[in-house]
Amino acid sequence: MKPAWQAMPPAAPERSRRVSVSRRAGLGVLLGLALFSLLGPWLLDVDPTRQVLADSLRAPDGSHLLGTDVLGRDVLARLMHAARLSFGLALLAAITAAVPGVLLGIAASWRGAGVERALVMLSDVVLSVPGLLLVLLFAALVPGRGEALYVGLSLSLWVEYFRVARAASRAVLASDAVQASRLLGFGPGHVLRWHLLPALAPVTGTLLAFSAAQAVLALAALGFVGVGLQPPTPELGLMMTEYLPHYEEAPWLIGAPVALLMLLVLGMLLLAGDAEGA
Amino acid sequence: MSGPVLLSAERLTVRVDGGPVLLHDLSFELRAGEALIVVGESGAGKSLLAQAVMGNLPAALRVGGGLTVGSARLRAEDQRARRPLWGRTLALLPQEPALALDPMIRVLPQLARTHELVRGVGASPAMAEARRDLDAAGLGDAARRYPWQFSGGMAQRAAAAVALAGGARILLADEPTKGLDAHWRDRTIGMLDAVRQAGGCVVVITHDLRVARALGGQLIVLRAGRVTEQGDTRAILARPSDAFTQRLIQAEPANWPRRPAPAAGAAVLTARGLSKDFGDGVLFDGLDLDVRRGERWVVRGPSGVGKSTLGNVLLGLLAPDRGSVRRADGLGPTALQKLYQDPVASFAPHVSLARSLGDVARRHGHPWPKLVERLERLGLSTRLLSRRPSEVSGGELQRLALARVLMARPALLFADEPTSRLDPATQRETLMLLLDVLEEDAAEGGAGAGTALLLVTHDDDIAEAVGTRFLRLGGSPGVGSLGRAPDAA
Repeated sequence: MKPAWQAMPPAAPERSRRVSVSRRAGLGVLLGLALFSLLGPWLLDVDPTRQVLADSLRAPDGSHLLGTDVLGRDVLARLMHAARLSFGLALLAAITAAVPGVLLGIAASWRGAGVERALVMLSDVVLSVPGLLLVLLFAALVPGRGEALYVGLSLSLWVEYFRVARAASRAVLASDAVQASRLLGFGPGHVLRWHLLPALAPVTGTLLAFSAAQAVLALAALGFVGVGLQPPTPELGLMMTEYLPHYEEAPWLIGAPVALLMLLVLGMLLLAGDAEGA
Repeated sequence: MSGPVLLSAERLTVRVDGGPVLLHDLSFELRAGEALIVVGESGAGKSLLAQAVMGNLPAALRVGGGLTVGSARLRAEDQRARRPLWGRTLALLPQEPALALDPMIRVLPQLARTHELVRGVGASPAMAEARRDLDAAGLGDAARRYPWQFSGGMAQRAAAAVALAGGARILLADEPTKGLDAHWRDRTIGMLDAVRQAGGCVVVITHDLRVARALGGQLIVLRAGRVTEQGDTRAILARPSDAFTQRLIQAEPANWPRRPAPAAGAAVLTARGLSKDFGDGVLFDGLDLDVRRGERWVVRGPSGVGKSTLGNVLLGLLAPDRGSVRRADGLGPTALQKLYQDPVASFAPHVSLARSLGDVARRHGHPWPKLVERLERLGLSTRLLSRRPSEVSGGELQRLALARVLMARPALLFADEPTSRLDPATQRETLMLLLDVLEEDAAEGGAGAGTALLLVTHDDDIAEAVGTRFLRLGGSPGVGSLGRAPDAA
């Protein structure tokens, strides 16, 4: 086989960005959920915490599309707010983990030696503590606050970005292309913008979807065991705990948050797709 | 020579299904002990010929005509029928031998497995035969190594041993000497000759007419899928009747026009007592070098001897173990530039060429129209600029790389085997343009403005054609065969 560069292309080929079916499906699911959580509360305009004890545990009907819980709160409204919270917090945590993670990864392979060793050691320390435990630790410091969960999640998620960015940028920095750019007098900014970021973007995008899914699950798990956000906040894990006792008389109750959680994570995983295809 | 026909083709054609014909009516006949050499420029259909004979053409291509392989007469279109012959009767030595070996299996068991599974001998005789093959190929010491630890020449010999292990008497070799230095080229020719001596026949696809002359036999000159000349190799090469064959011969480095040495100008670099080790070996020791403007230095020597390393040390990309490199006063940080062996790897892969070149032009205050003018001088269309590096041919990209470094007005240009991956015609064109452009710049800028050239090559003919000053590296034998040699491709 001839190396690819020997083959002369017939004409400037269009770089069609073919997006796989599964990615499109993932994007579709997430867009749907985003609309649901952003526009839904505005369309429905029902306070998710308003209790009408007379309406306790009503089955789905015209006025309450998903029924009501034991305190007579509208489940659809609670679900919309919970989705917004999970979505927003997970995305925020993933992005705040990605930016320093990627930058530190680049810094480690760029500077090498002591800087790299120190950063790798730090990441290993973080990695040695189970992610959920780290989040719990912060949740315990400031109980019931979203900010604490967010900080904890970010602190446990950045390591993945760091490791991937460090490995990927090492190969880029050692390439002839970067050497040529440096010889031609370009500084670190140019290398970062035109060599490192284009190489890191696809893999970072994939990771972003993965770690957002991870964050959604972590939030729900914490809520479920009662150490995350506190009632009456509508949150997926909390809702599951609240609805679990009623699964016999009102199975649709527990079904709603579980289905939403599955959709959310499924959408993110589909969007992440196979890393090679990126 | 007489004897039974081992391999013949009658009116072999290859076409795109429902499209153009890529290989027209090609016929030949090879008996035991004979060789067929196929030459022609890149894209002439040489590799297609090998694939058509082997029967592993891409699915979109159709092959017609007749083939005789060993005692079997076959219709060429029935490609599947040739599969059982692979390895046992018909063997292919692929173009990138390093890629043809399994990197995860040590070379001895890899070869033994071929003996065992393709030829069908028992496990322990297979091991013994594999060991004997490796010893014969000079790889006895490397038997326990993985193929990725091999230099180009070693991978070549290992792949040849594997290709022949099934007992095939018909060997097709696709550019078997590409990127090899004179020593390994001669060894490869010896290997091909040995196949003939043993009663086999070889089909050798090559750009290197030195290989053709050494092997003799029959010659087919291909151009755009048509045979332009066919007959006795040495007779045709001595008196080519076709203009295209003459051009191929002219493209050989030995026939390149000699250029007068320009007057040497001010000093650019002064190196004193340079030493560099690699692993356990010494690449160079106590080397003194003075490079002056206008000089064309050629560093030569076998693969893996440290030629590229020396260039990188002179450019300040690597620190010497001992000794010093001093740049002349007044040289800026971008005064030393480099051309790479693989031009694709030397451009940012995700960025269009216009962007890459534009950034350099801005960085060095180089007017864009002047760059366009230079690109035209180098025979490059500005339409190429909208493409990415991987979408441009190697010869074009190397010229783009040249245009790029010249914008920095270098005092020294280090060209590291810049044309070793190009076919001879493109190689000649690229290097001649390089020299032209350097001379023009010297003329424009007046005395003392000439860029010094430091060319690394393993090809002695290119060295003679280009150089005005020479440096030969390579005292310590065996350095080149040590694992991943620094400049072994």
